[in-house]
Amino acid sequence: MTAITASGIAQKEERKPGYYVKFNLFALAIIIMAVMFAAFRLYQQAFAWESGLDATSPEFDKYWMTLVKIELPLFVLAWVVCWSYLWITRDRNLAALGPREELRRYFYFTFWLVAYTFAIYFIGSFFAEGDGVWHQTVIRDTSFTPSHNVLFYACIPTYIFFSVGGFLYAMTRLPAFSRGISVAHVLAVLGPVLILPNLGFNEWGHAYWMTEEIFSHPLHWGFVVLGWNALALPGVALQMIQRMVPLFQELFGEAQQQSA
Amino acid sequence: MSPNTREVLAVSGLSPEAAKLSRIWEWFVVAAVALLFMGAIHLHVMLSVGDWDMFVDWKDRQFWVLVTPVSMIMIPAALQGVFWHYFRLPIGATLGALLLIIAVWISRLVGWHLWGYFPFSMSIPATMLAGAMALDAILLIVRNPLLTATFGGFVFALLFYPSNWASLAPYFLAVEHQGMVASVADLIGYTFPRAGTPEYIRVIERGTLRTFEGTSVWVSTAFAGFLCIFMHMIWWRIGMAFSTQRFVPNGKRMRQMMGLN
Amino acid sequence: MRKWLSAGMAVIECFVGITLLGASATALAHGERAQEPYLRTRTTHWYDVTWSTDKVAVNEAITVTAKFRLFGDWPQAVDLPETVFVSNATPGPVFIRVESFLNGVPARQSFRDLEIGRDYEYKMVMKGRIPGRYHVHPMIAIKGSGPLVGPGKWVEITGSAADFSFPVTAISGEKIDNLETWGVADAIQWHIIWAVIAVLWVLWWIRRPLLIPRYLVLKKDREDLLTTNTDLIMGIVLLAVCMVLAFWSYFHVNAKYPRTVPLQAGMMYTPPLPLQQSPVNVRVTQAQYDVPGRSMRVAMDITNTSDKTLRIGEFATASIRFVNNNLPAALANIHPDFPRDLLARNGLQLSDDAPLAPGETRQIRFDATDAAWEIERLTSFLTDVDSKFGGLLFLFDQSGGRHIAEIGGPIIPVFRANQLALAQ
Repeated sequence: MTAITASGIAQKEERKPGYYVKFNLFALAIIIMAVMFAAFRLYQQAFAWESGLDATSPEFDKYWMTLVKIELPLFVLAWVVCWSYLWITRDRNLAALGPREELRRYFYFTFWLVAYTFAIYFIGSFFAEGDGVWHQTVIRDTSFTPSHNVLFYACIPTYIFFSVGGFLYAMTRLPAFSRGISVAHVLAVLGPVLILPNLGFNEWGHAYWMTEEIFSHPLHWGFVVLGWNALALPGVALQMIQRMVPLFQELFGEAQQQSA
Repeated sequence: MSPNTREVLAVSGLSPEAAKLSRIWEWFVVAAVALLFMGAIHLHVMLSVGDWDMFVDWKDRQFWVLVTPVSMIMIPAALQGVFWHYFRLPIGATLGALLLIIAVWISRLVGWHLWGYFPFSMSIPATMLAGAMALDAILLIVRNPLLTATFGGFVFALLFYPSNWASLAPYFLAVEHQGMVASVADLIGYTFPRAGTPEYIRVIERGTLRTFEGTSVWVSTAFAGFLCIFMHMIWWRIGMAFSTQRFVPNGKRMRQMMGLN
Repeated sequence: MRKWLSAGMAVIECFVGITLLGASATALAHGERAQEPYLRTRTTHWYDVTWSTDKVAVNEAITVTAKFRLFGDWPQAVDLPETVFVSNATPGPVFIRVESFLNGVPARQSFRDLEIGRDYEYKMVMKGRIPGRYHVHPMIAIKGSGPLVGPGKWVEITGSAADFSFPVTAISGEKIDNLETWGVADAIQWHIIWAVIAVLWVLWWIRRPLLIPRYLVLKKDREDLLTTNTDLIMGIVLLAVCMVLAFWSYFHVNAKYPRTVPLQAGMMYTPPLPLQQSPVNVRVTQAQYDVPGRSMRVAMDITNTSDKTLRIGEFATASIRFVNNNLPAALANIHPDFPRDLLARNGLQLSDDAPLAPGETRQIRFDATDAAWEIERLTSFLTDVDSKFGGLLFLFDQSGGRHIAEIGGPIIPVFRANQLALAQ
């Protein structure tokens, strides 16, 4: 095989997967999230029954409202720091991006999306049904409960961190996603992001007229519709495929060339 | 590597290195799809038919049998559309149902049982696996979305009740409680109090004029089948629409900031 | 398979037991304090509430009895009690319900058409299930409005959650060892069977090149490579397996349990308790809530319309009781085990405690002062859109007989003491 440097067919070292798939930071993100979600769940197990049943008690304030006061600012700060970093360190010369680096970045982009979906699972499934559990344990009082304080004010900000972060990453580092805005990506990000303000509508409804606990009540269908936007991520994957295929060809050549 | 795989790779034109990288990428995509749809389908089902699915004393003959398949076919049909249209993979519905049942059981254990101390007997979920697999198999056989919707959609609903009855029949034995008949499911719902579920809140069969000698469940099944046909048609298209690969051109100033001209 | 499932369940139960060691601490009141004052003072008024014990072991019974009056000046914001469920306010299933009654009628099902202005008798028998200390309240739930909670008492459940069991025998003879675990192993078994088939089907496809190769091959019109004849055969087999297994399992379980009933959904009805004619006409002329002083002060014109001489013994609202400590009959009306934190220490202060003769009309002012107003968060009178209060007056005749009257009207919050000076 002829080794051609620079923008041509990749050298031997550069033909190995490890050259493109660098997942240390991704693994760290997953581990941090896993530890965080486990910690939240254990915190709920330890303190929900003991001090989370009565929103008027001082213990509730100590264990549950303090949590909100810590986590909300922390997550907002994380948003600001991460997203500004991604913007400030954007690639200012995407036109000159080489295929090797571009392919590597597609893998990084994939990692952003996997991290996003990791968070989505915990919000859409794990802690969401936990909210149902808590509504069957105590009658509804305020919007701050051991379940809400974890689900709404920690977990949702987590997936927003990764969804918007991934969008910014793509827009600032991948030519295809910078040249144009991916409609599918916007849907996949915006849908779940809007779940946070939709909580306002939800709590309004519960405060003013719907005080009984039917999970499938039409009041909740805003969340359902916003959750459907998850179907847009396959569209993003398809967009990635459309660019990764020519990159593969450029870097590794066609299969016929290899066997010749 | 099987002969078919070799041939697929050869026709695809991917070099061995590209094929390897592609395969690695696929595993990340599989992980993303699994995590995403465990969350998305579970949330969808939870907030559209969740009460029927969460509680054994909501599983009636009129509403549960009707609404559950209609809700549970939506996202699987969309996934079927995308997986088949772009990849000829007949696994969209199966994957949807499988991810759902895994996510649901995790929640039953970690949420209802370990956190809320509710017994498993109260929260046995339904499963769409039988209907979903049949739906995928029908797609593979007929290779046509319209026929899949027509036959597969109906079969999806048809298999719901019989495949779940094996799990749930024990909950419909009759017991006597306070001098009145109750099903075991009713008794479980009464015995283990749920703060947010007074009995009247159950949207269940409250009396019909004609129950056809107890075969009302098949009437509900037939209606569900009818609705599932149309649901499948609609959601296949919704899946296709969501998988748009359209880019809206970014503004000139934006492109300049990234060094694109 | 069943042995493995049972073993798995045993492991889970151990984990539950271990976590409960940490969790079986004091659990507080839950939620009723967040209900608005108009809800708590103008809907259900609970009285004669008794708890048979304040300590039960797991599997041991506790009986809560009570009466409640559905207040005549029912708030507009609360749906009428056309559909009502008799319930209990305890955190989740820490207690189980054994049986319940409304006016002696079994109350597993919901009731229809309860009447405003009338009284009902509540009885709930529960058993301990999860060790800990919990607040136990009687409660009813009204369709469209939700739960209305009565006074609560701390009850301790001792023992081990693992000892709990609830055996039942079906009418057709099947013995259910424990309602908590009945049918669970079978259900899990079936789900595993279906899931294994599904996993095999998915693996059949994802073991092969999955996305980019298939995408490219499809673009080159070679889908014959993507779904082969073998795949087609597998698909037909899968379809057959699903249809056969689903229906076989259905017929098999029907043969095992031939006699099943649908969910029971009928509603119950009971006439209210015999009408207790109010022995007095009460017209509230002025009512104030003194915020800093934590005091409700009411001036009323009260006319004795009965043929008995009466004295005011108690004012009760939102589970707080203000008892006239100078009236022995009123004091005797307090059950010895009634939670002391719901009995106002200063009791009910009356401007004129003299007996009210038959036919007599008098202006009386009372002062109900206690920190309980604030603790129970009833000071939210200030944030209610419907600033009215309600309560029950208990009057006693000379032979100790008790009579109940409703009292209520607009209430104004005040921020200075002694605007409506009352008994010294």
